[in-house]
Amino acid sequence: MTNPVTKDRRHFEDLSPGEVIDLGKTQVSREMITTFAGEFDPLPFHLDEDAAKASLLGGLASSGWQTGALSLRMLVDNFLSKIASCGGLGFRNLKWKNPVMVGDIIGGTVTIAELRRSSSHPQWGIVTLDFDMRNQHGKPVLTMRLANLVECRDPGAPA
Amino acid sequence: MTRWFEDIVIDEPFPLGSHTFSAEEIIRFGRAYDPQYFHTDPDLAKHSHFGGLIASGWHTVSVGHRKMVDALFAEEERLRGLGQEPGVSGPSPGVNSMDFKAPVRPGDTVTYQLVVTDKRRSNSIPGWGLLFNRLTATNQHGDLVYEADLVGFSKLRDYRMPWRLTLLLALTRVPVLGKLIRRGS
Repeated sequence: MTNPVTKDRRHFEDLSPGEVIDLGKTQVSREMITTFAGEFDPLPFHLDEDAAKASLLGGLASSGWQTGALSLRMLVDNFLSKIASCGGLGFRNLKWKNPVMVGDIIGGTVTIAELRRSSSHPQWGIVTLDFDMRNQHGKPVLTMRLANLVECRDPGAPA
Repeated sequence: MTRWFEDIVIDEPFPLGSHTFSAEEIIRFGRAYDPQYFHTDPDLAKHSHFGGLIASGWHTVSVGHRKMVDALFAEEERLRGLGQEPGVSGPSPGVNSMDFKAPVRPGDTVTYQLVVTDKRRSNSIPGWGLLFNRLTATNQHGDLVYEADLVGFSKLRDYRMPWRLTLLLALTRVPVLGKLIRRGS
């Protein structure tokens, strides 16, 4: 059973460990920060300039969940939308290393750390990805290891 | 939880409330942060193994975070109402694990709960304690949607700063001297 949406994309068999994916760059604006925070993380230092200046962060900073969501967006644009991705399994060791402030430009790479076939579902493989997100000064802002399911081109092949 | 570190009870369930996910908000989040066809296009999503539109895992987690923030504010209000001074929570250094277990479909209602499974005083940051939080999300059928282990900080009520540290902090407020001390540390 071929999935018409993903049939021409790279499948599990086409991926190799060690492959590095460039995620490009995204500039984080004040509006992006306050919009996300208003819906998902309404703490004063994500919403209000004066409260943010008085906080430990010293200025308006993005929600850590937004930094993650923006990293995910960059992964989808540069990798997941080009492979036969069929959903995320979760992640490990997410670390917010430094705050992302208004005007910061974040970018980075993702490296394929591991590839293995699913033992319970032979039609899927699991790709494990290591994120290394940094700001314009080269300082790390976020690292995590994410696991995602990918369709196999040949589910009948031995794992 | 906006309680003092000393007042946080291990293994006490702290309900965070529920959220019902509409197709419209699933697609809106998907377009903004996770534009894969099963999060953004109900017709194409039929071809995925989910058989239809599902929410981005990052979306269900972000809503869970919002629920937690709201519950913390409510707890703060409750304590003030009792005439008590609420505690202070600090920024989270990260998430040890996040496991997505079941998809969230349009119309699903997800209920979130927080449990502090362990706590200890921070070795690196005086006056603060570390909280080991377990967050769970379940749908209306009782299926686990995700479970996560997160680390948080909470301030100690009974902490007294050693006089050397108090002196050092006071000195950092003196303009030129403070700059030198901060540079040195």
